[in-house]
Amino acid sequence: MRIIVHKAKCQGHARCSAQAPDVFKLDDEGYILPGDIEVAEGEQLLASRGARSCPERALELDPTPAARVVPDAIEPRVWRA
Amino acid sequence: MTINAVPDHVPPEMVRDFSLFTSPGMAPTPNGDPHAAVACVHAGPPIFYSPYNTRDGRGTWVITRAADQRRVLQDAETFSSHRSIFSSALGENWPMIPLELDPPAHGVFRSLLNPLLSPKRLVVLEPKVRERAITLILRIAASGTSCDVMKDFAFPFTVSIFLRLLGLPDHRLDTFVGWAKDLLHGDNVKRPAAARTIVAFIDELATKRRKEPVDDFMTFIVQAQVEGRRLTEEEVRGIGVLVFIAGLDTVAAAIGFGLAYLARNIKDQDLLRREPDRIVLAAEELLRAYPSVQIIRVATKDIDFEGAPIRKGDYVSCAAMIANRDPAEFECPNTVDLAREDNRHAAFGFGPHRCLGSHLARREIVIGLEEWLARIPAFRIQNATAPITSGGHLFGIENLILDWS
Repeated sequence: MRIIVHKAKCQGHARCSAQAPDVFKLDDEGYILPGDIEVAEGEQLLASRGARSCPERALELDPTPAARVVPDAIEPRVWRA
Repeated sequence: MTINAVPDHVPPEMVRDFSLFTSPGMAPTPNGDPHAAVACVHAGPPIFYSPYNTRDGRGTWVITRAADQRRVLQDAETFSSHRSIFSSALGENWPMIPLELDPPAHGVFRSLLNPLLSPKRLVVLEPKVRERAITLILRIAASGTSCDVMKDFAFPFTVSIFLRLLGLPDHRLDTFVGWAKDLLHGDNVKRPAAARTIVAFIDELATKRRKEPVDDFMTFIVQAQVEGRRLTEEEVRGIGVLVFIAGLDTVAAAIGFGLAYLARNIKDQDLLRREPDRIVLAAEELLRAYPSVQIIRVATKDIDFEGAPIRKGDYVSCAAMIANRDPAEFECPNTVDLAREDNRHAAFGFGPHRCLGSHLARREIVIGLEEWLARIPAFRIQNATAPITSGGHLFGIENLILDWS
């Protein structure tokens, strides 16, 4: 999963890093560092929560094909097997 | 007070009999709920004209949808914040800084001040905030089984944090609270008098720190440089006054409304006390349900907005209490759900002027709730008392008497 960072829209609410400090790094003023973010597996749930918490809509989720094959936070549907 | 005429360019059908000052539930009301009272606008159009929606009786456009408020507040070029709210009380027109500066000047001062109240900086400030909360609550717990939360806790807590930030002594707390009260809630005599007193105080403090620097906020300001120069006296004053008044009423009101909610909703109170890890998320929901600020902008040019002919000079209101009850943005907006996720509320505004003190405010609210719930057993609103709520430019609550006997 990738998160597209619209840096110009960031106003330093810091809600993203409150949810996922390891994913969303802030500068000394408290604004998001520039550049899109590749999210490691295992951090995807927190990362997407962080992105969804931005009041300015500065963070956009971009699920990569790999992430679509193995979506996090969805339990395998064992009953179907 | 003069009755405000509706400007000629406003179509009569866009005028509504609604304002944060005069609508039902906005005047001081025992056991009132002004936030619920304003939520009724969502039954109407996304934008309308309110003929009497500022303290001095001016009309404003009212933007009701959260998405539209975000659009307005993110566009500081079209919707300016330079209104000289404070200095106009003195018949002057210097800006509070950075709030009443527009880009690009705004960014220069904002960058100067951001590190002082950044999330990183808060890690350093936090232990003192917690220590202050604990001291006050222990004193309350030791002296009985009831208290006036605003007088005994919310105000002394938030104001003393802010005084420490500025490097001012605690023993002057009552004086400062008195000035702020007169300024924010006083009449047409008290308000300018308080404004003059605060300006004189800030000027004097700046002079003192120029002569004898210490390690505090005002010393930082008088020594700071922007664009290779020192700040002018007017700039120092503009920053000092903003910081002085911004931190006074808002956080105390948030703590008051939050504790009033918990006093009336024992299940939620018990849950947070048993599982304090929930408080961080719960505080966001309380901020959503009970914000205190109406933000007003001035149009810098003619613009048609969602069918409304906004003209240069018109006031445009973005009230957080209205955006935060928008059903298009929040599921069941009038229900307080302390476990609400993805809570992108407007309590601290949107856009470049997002509340500079929001990180400190959040920590104060969370820490205040944590320490209160850890030290005060199940509390209710005391029998035969009624908290008094009010609307207006800053929603507030008084006479909140809690009882845990």
